[in-house]
Amino acid sequence: MSKQVSSYNEEHEALNKVINFRFPHTFKKVGIIGAVSVLAYLFAYKFIGSNTLLTKDLLRTLILLFLFVASLSKEKIEDEYTVHIRFQSYIVAFIVTAIYAIVIPFVGFFLEIIIRKITNDGVVNLNDVSAFEVLFMMMAMQLLFFTTLKRFGRC
Amino acid sequence: MLNRLKIERAEKDLTQDQLAKKIGVSRQTINSIEKNRYVPSTILALKISELFSKSVNDIFFLEKED
Repeated sequence: MSKQVSSYNEEHEALNKVINFRFPHTFKKVGIIGAVSVLAYLFAYKFIGSNTLLTKDLLRTLILLFLFVASLSKEKIEDEYTVHIRFQSYIVAFIVTAIYAIVIPFVGFFLEIIIRKITNDGVVNLNDVSAFEVLFMMMAMQLLFFTTLKRFGRC
Repeated sequence: MLNRLKIERAEKDLTQDQLAKKIGVSRQTINSIEKNRYVPSTILALKISELFSKSVNDIFFLEKED
């Protein structure tokens, strides 16, 4: 019985280590600057039209990686309030992204119906939201809500 | 949960920043506790009460709805 309890405790400690893992504070700036730079590069090349599908996919993955690092980075002063607002921001980001992923295909669908009625042209489809969109939205929302909640604490 | 943190801090003539540094948290944490936007953990409540040499119940108290 005591062996089982100590095994549960070890598992719990290991899980806590994973949950509480954070990159150093400097990684936050690296993550945000990196993500914004790659996003700007992606936008610029979209207009030039010279990026291949492989480059686009690689750059998108790079954006997600930078955002992931920024999202999992420590704050300058990491205390219980920081942990609290971080969890809150993850909850809000999850809810907002879930609503986005559910609602956006329908919005697109109805817009396509309207456009088709006006122009008498085009095909009406119910388009899925891509995995990139969902992950990008979730991580960007988390960072945004975290910053907003942190700002609330200042005033 | 309500608290007397702002009053206690004023009595000791401490700024939010000074208090935050003394107990090793950020100024935002102290501000959020004072504005009743955040309920501190037992550990933080004990640290605060120890700093003001009072019991936790003298600084933090329950509301009717709690």
